[in-house]
Amino acid sequence: MFSRTVKLTQARAFQTTARKNLTIPFLSTLPQAPGGVKGNVNDAYVPPAPEKLHGSLHWDFERVLAISLIPLVTVPLAATGSISTVLDTALASVLLGHCYVGFQSCIIDYIPSRVYGKNHTYAMYLLGLGSLFSVVGIYHMETKEGGLIGVLKNIWSKPSTEKK
Amino acid sequence: MFNAIIKRGLATEAKAVAPRLKTFKIYRWSPDRPAEKPRLQEYQVDLNQCGPMVLDALIKIKNEQDATLTFRRSCREGICGSCAMNIGGRNTLACLCRIDQNENKQTKIYPLPHMYIVRDLVPDLTHFYKQYKSIQPYLQRSEVPADGKENLQSIADRKKLDGLYECILCACCSTSCPSYWWNQEQYLGPAVLMQAYRWLVDSRDEAAGIRKQMLQNSMSLYRCHTIMNCTRTCPKGLNPGRAIAEIKKALAVD
Repeated sequence: MFSRTVKLTQARAFQTTARKNLTIPFLSTLPQAPGGVKGNVNDAYVPPAPEKLHGSLHWDFERVLAISLIPLVTVPLAATGSISTVLDTALASVLLGHCYVGFQSCIIDYIPSRVYGKNHTYAMYLLGLGSLFSVVGIYHMETKEGGLIGVLKNIWSKPSTEKK
Repeated sequence: MFNAIIKRGLATEAKAVAPRLKTFKIYRWSPDRPAEKPRLQEYQVDLNQCGPMVLDALIKIKNEQDATLTFRRSCREGICGSCAMNIGGRNTLACLCRIDQNENKQTKIYPLPHMYIVRDLVPDLTHFYKQYKSIQPYLQRSEVPADGKENLQSIADRKKLDGLYECILCACCSTSCPSYWWNQEQYLGPAVLMQAYRWLVDSRDEAAGIRKQMLQNSMSLYRCHTIMNCTRTCPKGLNPGRAIAEIKKALAVD
């Protein structure tokens, strides 16, 4: 009886959605275990190795960024946009960090290394590169264009100079 | 008058009632014909001749119309968790789900979403059980009480387990979670995480350190994005979303 159970799980014939409907086109994928089951049916699932930096510390970092955005956004709203460059830099950097962490979460969800292998790492590199460009952009904004709030304010100001 | 009594007899014949035919559309797929695409098959059930729950209708269909219709069921009272399926777009237990008495509306019945299907309404829960096993769902202590009897706990400590121990592991919540759909090979899912929390808060258990460490990675716990489908769908009215939040809180200051 037992050996029969094991055999059944090894030669799996299940109905499931075709893989191509669930994966991103043009990205190579790794072969997956049938039914998502690795090993004997009686073995417990083995979780990834514990790593606090990707676990609770990462979650804490996420929350700190999200919560610190609340005062950072409220202050310029209350001050109708006239804030110091230091505060503006803090807002831009925390916002960038928040976006970085959010996109990172998306990549882990939708391009997991379990399915996409190296593509997961490449996506992370791409995100890192984009964020680096954004850091340079923030520096440019803060030094030349009156900061993030200054750029936002310019959208609503009269486009009188552009017409000439 | 005598005539009327004879006519009436001792037992009154029930008046013929017009049948109230309701259409059930049920997901069918058989491993005997694997090349054939899954399809929805229509069955008509007379609601006057059927019990109030969807499971009654399913059993009636299997008994009277199509013996090949396959589904899991056991207790018929919401305590075994066998008949978990997607009824009318909601994961629930067929035995706790009333039939919509409006016979103009069809009821669609699918197996639990995004699971590997063994046949018809039977999903493969092997991985779900493996995940449950991985959180070590049993009491772990270094010593037993000196009197050789129970491990005692205070009433307040016992109260912490209410709303957690009632889970019957029907997998309704886990299979309603989009995060579990995408990453069920690694993300533990609400049902298993709620049981992880049930053993974390148990005052008699001494393995909290190992239990917490097991969740310290990006996949096992932190794929929960507080979507709360789990709490919305739970047929037992439990709150796995809250349990996961409590684990995150406990880990945050760990």
